[in-house]
Amino acid sequence: MANNKAKVAFFDFASCEGCQIELTNYGDKDFLELLQHIEIVEFREAMSEKTSDPIDIACIEGSYTRQADCQRLLDIRCRAKVVISYGQCAGTAGINALKNHQADYQSFVYDRDAGMPHLDSDNAKPISSIIKVDYQVPGCPVNRYEFLDIISHLLHGKEPVIPNYPVCVECKRNETICRFLAGDHCMGMVTRAGCGAPCPADGIPCEGCRGFVDNPNQYALSKVLHEKGGLSLHRAESKSLLFNANERDNANKESEID
Amino acid sequence: MNTYFIKESDFNNFIDNMLLQLPVIAPVLSSESVESFFSFEFLKNHDELRLDYDITILPPKKAFFPPRQVIIEFSHGKFHGTVNAKKQVLLGVHPYDIKAIDQTDFLFTENYEDINYTAYRNATTLVCSNIQTISKRAFWGSISHDVPARGHDAFLTKLTDLNEAEEEGYLFEVFNEKGHELLSFGQFLLATELQIQQAKSINESIKDKCPQQLNYSQDEMANTICRSFNNTALWDELAQDCFSCGSCNTTCPTCYCFNVEDSWNIDQQSGQRTRYWDSCMTEDFAKISSADGQSENFRKTTAARMRHRIMRKMVYLNDKLGTQACVGCGRCSIACTADIADPVNIIKRIMEEAANDSL
Ligand code: SF4
Ligand code: SF4
Ligand code: SF4
Ligand code: SF4
Ligand code: SF4
Repeated sequence: MANNKAKVAFFDFASCEGCQIELTNYGDKDFLELLQHIEIVEFREAMSEKTSDPIDIACIEGSYTRQADCQRLLDIRCRAKVVISYGQCAGTAGINALKNHQADYQSFVYDRDAGMPHLDSDNAKPISSIIKVDYQVPGCPVNRYEFLDIISHLLHGKEPVIPNYPVCVECKRNETICRFLAGDHCMGMVTRAGCGAPCPADGIPCEGCRGFVDNPNQYALSKVLHEKGGLSLHRAESKSLLFNANERDNANKESEID
Repeated sequence: MNTYFIKESDFNNFIDNMLLQLPVIAPVLSSESVESFFSFEFLKNHDELRLDYDITILPPKKAFFPPRQVIIEFSHGKFHGTVNAKKQVLLGVHPYDIKAIDQTDFLFTENYEDINYTAYRNATTLVCSNIQTISKRAFWGSISHDVPARGHDAFLTKLTDLNEAEEEGYLFEVFNEKGHELLSFGQFLLATELQIQQAKSINESIKDKCPQQLNYSQDEMANTICRSFNNTALWDELAQDCFSCGSCNTTCPTCYCFNVEDSWNIDQQSGQRTRYWDSCMTEDFAKISSADGQSENFRKTTAARMRHRIMRKMVYLNDKLGTQACVGCGRCSIACTADIADPVNIIKRIMEEAANDSL
């Protein structure tokens, strides 16, 4: 029986490891249930073993940030039948990509140690910019049930469904009052659904942690954030930078945005 | 069937007695922030009931066709349907929403009966109520206005502006056996001719009080919109700020599209099939897989989707329904963050453009 189980391994790159932690939150009972169907061969947050065997599903957390990551990623790709990048760091470089647009971040973050050579890094990039990624699980952090849903689909030989519609769809299914009607602002209109819209349901704006839908209307986003959401023009323009620095229309320009 | 009257002072008892016997779904205050927002919910007591609501965020169709509905459960290779409709009352539905329910009643039974819908619909006693407060984006006075509201079992009208000598209360019109059954919950009296006339004039006079108007006939609109099909510049302009967020569909009482997804439980042996409200304004709605393992999206642009939605509301279904598939509730206008979904503005713009072209 053990031989029929899918071999799953977890790897991490530049990240806070919050997505791994989220995966350890299933609870013992559920987790043991899941282990009837998969065999976890590598998972730093939960076990110390390491292997170099072939794997069925490789799950990668975190962004590419340095040359040495290339070889590690290529090795994983060669060993794995399916590669899933999970979490926004892996998917778009998420929050890590903020630094791509700031020359002086090192002195702010590391203060006196800023000059240490090991702190040097490249622009933060998504895993898919280095190797072929088969599926991306959005979220900062991921939602463990969505992650499980994707794994379940793969175990059953089905194509996972990852929404390409915005958070507003789920927000409406919840019958939540739109932040804009409550005198607030929101970025749910450009953000990929799948989280179930918990933030507006709690009375706070969607900050776009799951990244953009395939074709976000960024022009209208700034316009609506400014005209309806009451943000300054400057803030309306920069608002989506937090989780989507690499995805923005101006991602490759030297940005003035603070 | 007869027409009855219930005194204001007996009304709360009527609601509470009904609640002892049946689940009642009715408009309640959902939250008060900048303004009041209402939604249809299972009523807990008479205090919650807000028949003075202006509009609800989602339409009442959710009582038979919920935004998320598990329709099948499966386990170890066996499955069973989960339809389990119990008798319930849907109370306080405005006439424009009754018209929309009449449309979904037709669309969900046409050709093939959708039992996930009809089971709940048939188990529901539908009570219409008069509009006491008009929503700020409503235009039901000038669209689908010449078709009658149909399909409800009873109609409740709050009698207002009475002479001092007259008793405050509600007129209660009963149309069939289902409506009649509710009489046992309250102290109903036979209505007087005066009360019947008062209710009639209340429901008549409200018709031209909408804040927005469309001054065209159904055919004029349908023909002109149809002729504008190839005016790409116009559709591009109308859709320029569109987020493809689907809120204009997911709040619409006449939209009936859904998607079905399967999911497994953690044991990988059991799971469920769930259907969700879908929306044609979202990017991948019209994406289909083609034989070669590729996919094709036959409405790729926001403009194509905007056009499709307007055609669906104003043209395509008219023959089938005998009216437009828009009842003028104004929910889409409120829900659209970019404020481009309002059918009144869209239709006026299309009509203007057509008038200019023919000069
Ligand atoms: S609160 Fe945000 S996510 Fe919800 S409908 Fe409004 S814009 Fe969309
Ligand atoms: S609502 Fe927005 S910020 Fe909140 S979890 Fe979903 S995508 Fe992230
Ligand atoms: S199109 Fe808009 S106004 Fe018309 S019925 Fe739908 S939500 Fe109401
Ligand atoms: S096609 Fe569009 S407009 Fe028509 S019912 Fe479906 S979602 Fe609504
Ligand atoms: S018209 Fe408005 S509500 Fe409809 S999809 Fe576009 S942005 Fe969303």
